[in-house]
Amino acid sequence: MQSLNRIAYISIFTAGAISLFVVESLIPQPIPGIRLGLANIFILLALLTFGFREALLVGILKSVVGSLIIARLLTPSFLFSISGTIMSIIIMALAVRYLRSVSLVGISILGAETHTFIQILIATYLFIGKASFVYLLVPFVLLSLITGSITGICTYWLYERTEGKIEFAKAP
Amino acid sequence: MRKKSRYRPLKIGDFVIILFFLSALFFLPRIEGRKVRITVDKGKEYIYSLMEDRVLEIRGQIGVTKVAIKDGRVRVLEAPCPLKLCRQKGWIKKKGDQIICIPNGILICIEGERFDAITE
Repeated sequence: MQSLNRIAYISIFTAGAISLFVVESLIPQPIPGIRLGLANIFILLALLTFGFREALLVGILKSVVGSLIIARLLTPSFLFSISGTIMSIIIMALAVRYLRSVSLVGISILGAETHTFIQILIATYLFIGKASFVYLLVPFVLLSLITGSITGICTYWLYERTEGKIEFAKAP
Repeated sequence: MRKKSRYRPLKIGDFVIILFFLSALFFLPRIEGRKVRITVDKGKEYIYSLMEDRVLEIRGQIGVTKVAIKDGRVRVLEAPCPLKLCRQKGWIKKKGDQIICIPNGILICIEGERFDAITE
């Protein structure tokens, strides 16, 4: 039996990620496609406190439900969001597991870079055409460094306060 | 005192990652022009896309100049002029780069693009 406790925690994390995702989409974007990636805070937190599977669950739920709320389900932006999220969770999970001397800022930067990279990759292959791939990459990689660091610092603040306090109760 | 978390910000690995991405930027090719304009005898103008590879044969004042477009770059393959300066110039690819062949009256110039990826 799956513990109810686990479901409850995943729901809380998902709710946090979705609310940040929705709030963030209300902020006007100076250049389309550039966002802070605040939802990544909760995904990364789930990855640290629980593990890969739970983080993936939070990420996918965040993309699907978040897109549903801001009415972008099954549009290109949803496609970018979900593929970028899944890939960045995989990369961040690998970083948490194998890169011992990297802090949360570095892990978050890796996640943000992966997210943008996948987004641009899909955008170029589906919509724009291969030639502009490099053209788009330069500003986006720079911006991801900044947004990734901000998200990483936020995650550390949250993680510092919750470390060791969230645990799954044993299933009876 | 609280024990130090392994995730405490700014460890050596972070700088490695940041440096890695910054250096990756440095190695990326510059923004490239998207079209090439070839002017013959100050009058006729041809504009080709740099996105498709091809070999052009352009008739100038003293003969035929062969121009190759490949991977977004342009070069002169064969020229009838005596000094072959246009051929020695090699590949050009950046916006504003030019190959000029005075004996044959040919000017090859890379143009920037007017539209961004979204309007395209």
